[in-house]
Amino acid sequence: MSSDPDFISSAGPKTEELVFDAKEAQRRRRASRMQRVGDHLKREWQLYAMLIPTILWLVIFLYKPMYGLQIAFKDYSIFRGVAASPWIGFEHFETLFNNDQFLRALRNTLIMSAYGLLFGFPVPIFLALMFNEILNQKFKKTAQTIVYLPHFISSVIIAGIVITAFSPSAGIVNTILGWFGVDAVYFLTKPEWFRPIFIGTGIWQEAGFQSIVYLAAIAGVSPTLYESAVVDGASRWQMMWKITIPSILPTIIIMLIIRIGNILEISFEMIILLYQPATYQTADVVNTFIYRQGLQGGQYDFAAAAGLFNAVVAFILVMTANTISKRYSRTSLW
Amino acid sequence: MSGVQLEGIVKAYGAVQVVHGIDLEVQEKEFVVLVGPSGCGKSTTLRMIAGLEEISDGDLTIDGRHVNRVAPKDRDVAMVFQNYALYPHLNVADNIAFGLRIRKESKDAIASSVEEVGEILGLTPYLERRPADLSGGQRQRVAMGRAIVRRPKVFLFDEPLSNLDAKLRTQMRAEIKRLHKRLGVTSIYVTHDQIEAMTLADRIVVMHDGHIEQIGTPMELFLNPANTFVAGFLGSPPMNMISAQVVAGDAGPVAEFGGQRIQLQQIPSLQNGVGRPVTLGIRPEFVSVADQSDPAKVRLEVDLVETLGSEALIHASLMGDPFVIRTDTVGQMHVLDGISGFTIQPHLVKVFDAETGQTLPGQVLEQ
Ligand SMILES: Nc1ncnc2c1ncn2[C@@H]1O[C@H](COP(=O)(O)OP(=O)(O)O)[C@@H](O)[C@H]1O
Ligand SMILES: [Mg+2]
Repeated sequence: MSSDPDFISSAGPKTEELVFDAKEAQRRRRASRMQRVGDHLKREWQLYAMLIPTILWLVIFLYKPMYGLQIAFKDYSIFRGVAASPWIGFEHFETLFNNDQFLRALRNTLIMSAYGLLFGFPVPIFLALMFNEILNQKFKKTAQTIVYLPHFISSVIIAGIVITAFSPSAGIVNTILGWFGVDAVYFLTKPEWFRPIFIGTGIWQEAGFQSIVYLAAIAGVSPTLYESAVVDGASRWQMMWKITIPSILPTIIIMLIIRIGNILEISFEMIILLYQPATYQTADVVNTFIYRQGLQGGQYDFAAAAGLFNAVVAFILVMTANTISKRYSRTSLW
Repeated sequence: MSGVQLEGIVKAYGAVQVVHGIDLEVQEKEFVVLVGPSGCGKSTTLRMIAGLEEISDGDLTIDGRHVNRVAPKDRDVAMVFQNYALYPHLNVADNIAFGLRIRKESKDAIASSVEEVGEILGLTPYLERRPADLSGGQRQRVAMGRAIVRRPKVFLFDEPLSNLDAKLRTQMRAEIKRLHKRLGVTSIYVTHDQIEAMTLADRIVVMHDGHIEQIGTPMELFLNPANTFVAGFLGSPPMNMISAQVVAGDAGPVAEFGGQRIQLQQIPSLQNGVGRPVTLGIRPEFVSVADQSDPAKVRLEVDLVETLGSEALIHASLMGDPFVIRTDTVGQMHVLDGISGFTIQPHLVKVFDAETGQTLPGQVLEQ
C-alpha cells in the first residue's frame, strides 16, 4: 500500500500529522511506563530492599573479581598491578595446551568426573528409594542419621580416616586382607588405587546428604497415586518404577544438570589431602594444578588462564545439558 | 451376586473410634450413596471397603466372599478419587491402561479396552494428551476410565465431583448416572452434597458422626426422615424446624407454639402424646401461602419474597427463627403480595421427639 504514489501524495499532510502523533504517543507511552515503574518501585520497595544484600554479594564476590580475569591475557606482575601489566593475547593459553602436566590434569579431571558421575550420581537416588521403602519409622530415622553423618565431618578428618583405614600397618582394609593371606598394599601410593579411593570417599561423604533432595521430591508425590495403584494391584516394586521414579525424574534431571555444570569442580581439597607426588599421574586435576602453579608457584597469570578455561568449559557444559533436557524432558533449570 | 455386605464395621485409630459399627447391604447393580457432613466417616468406610484402611472390627463381604483380610487388588473393586489420582507423566491412554498393564494383560486386549473406554467417555480425541493439558471435567473422565477399564465387580467413588465447578458437576452427575445404567456395576458413592445423593442414588445412606442415621430411597428419606438430622440434611432449602408442645384440640392433637396452633394427624403416638415437647418439621414446599383473608393460618413475619420465575422463596421468621417457604408463583401472585402466613395439611407436618430427635411412630407419607 505504501508503494502506491497516489496514496502517499494524497495522504501527504495527514502523514505528517500522523508521524507527529506517533512520536507524541511514544513519548507519552515512555513517560507512562517510567511512571508505572516508579509506582511499582514505590509500592514494592521492601521486596527490592531485600534483594540488595544478594546483589551486593554477587557484585563484590563474583563480578568484581572478574576484573582480575584479564590477567589471563596479560604478562602480569604484582608490582605493576592488573591494569598496567602489558597485554600478551593468548600466550598463556598456548603455554597451557603445550604443558603436559596441564593436559594430564585435564584428562584426570574428566576421567574422575565421569566416574564420579557414573558411580556417585545414582547412589543418593538409590538411597532415597530405599529409605522410602523402610516401613519402620525408628529404623528409617536411625539409618538416615548414620548416612547423613559423614557430610558433617570436616574433609580433613575424613581424609584422616581414609588414610588410616588404608594404611599398610594398622589400616582395617589391610588387616582384613591379611586374614585372607593377602600382603599389605600401600594403597595411597599406588596411582591405580587413587581414583577408586577418591570416588568411594566422595560417595561415602556426600551420598546420604544428597539423598535428602530426592526424599523431599518423593514426599511431594500425592499419596492417592499410590493408593490408586494399590487398588489396581501394583506391587511395591511396580509402584517404585511406575510412580516414584517418574515422579522424581524432573528433580533427578535438575540435579544432573547442576552436576554436569560442576563436572570440572572436583572437590580439590580432598585431592590435596589424599594425593602425593607418587599418585599425581592419576590424581592431579585442573584445580590442584592451578593451585600449585598459581598460589605455590606464583604464576598468577598462567593460573588465571587455566581457571578461565575451566569456567568456560563448565559454562558450555551447563548450557548444553540444560538445552538437551529442555528439549527432551520438558525439564530445565531456566 | 456382586453385592457388598458390611456387618458391624468399626474403624478405630488407636483409641479413637471414628466409625462405630456400620451395617449395610448393597445389592448387586445397586447405586448406593453415602452422604453426610464432612468428617462423619464416609471416606473411611469406603476406604475400608477398598482395602486401603484396615477394618478394626466387623465383617466385610464382597460378592459372597469374606474379604476383611484380602488385599485390595484381589477384592475386584475400582476406586475413583476426588483429586483424580492421574499419573502426570503418562498420557490419557497410558493412564487408563495402567491397571491392565499392572495385571500384565496382552497388548491387543489393552489397546482395544482403552479404545472402547475412550469412546464410552468421549475421550478418544485426547488419548495422547497428558493430564496437565486437560480440563477438570476431562481429568475426571480419565479417572473414571481408569476404573471402568478394569471391569470390576464394584465401583467406589470418593467425592469424585467435588473439584469441579457447579455446572460441570451437574453435567458429570448425569453422565455418571447414565454410565451406571449402561454398565450396571454395583457402585458405592461418597459425597457430602445432598443434591448429588438425591439425584444419583438408588438408595441413600445418611451418616453422622460415624453412625448410620437412615437408609432408604431418596424419596423415602425425603418424605419420611427418621429423625431431625436426616430431615435437616436432605432437601434444599432445608426443612423448617419449630419447637412446640402437643395439646388436645377440638379435632384431635394440636401443636402449640408461641400462641399459635397447627392441627396434627390423628394417630395414636400423637393422641397419647398430649403435653409432650416436640419438634415440628415443615418442608418449605409442603405449605400453602395465605394472606390476611385466611383466619386459620400460622402467622409469619415476612422479610423478603424472592421471585424466581415459576417459583418463589419466601424468607420469614417464626418465633425469632428463620422460616422458608417455597411455592409456585403462577396464579398466586395476589396472595404472595399480601402474604402474612401459611396453612398446612396435618399429614404433611412431621413431628419429632424434642429430646431424641426421632420421628414419632406412625407418620408415613406415601410417595
Ligand atoms: N489417619 C487418621 N488418624 C486419625 N483420625 C483420622 C484419620 N483419618 C481420618 N480420621 C478421622 O476420622 C473421621 C472421619 O474421616 P473421613 O472418613 O475422612 O470423613 P469424611 O466423611 O469427611 O470422608 C474424621 O474425624 C477424621 O478426623
Ligand atoms: Mg472424605
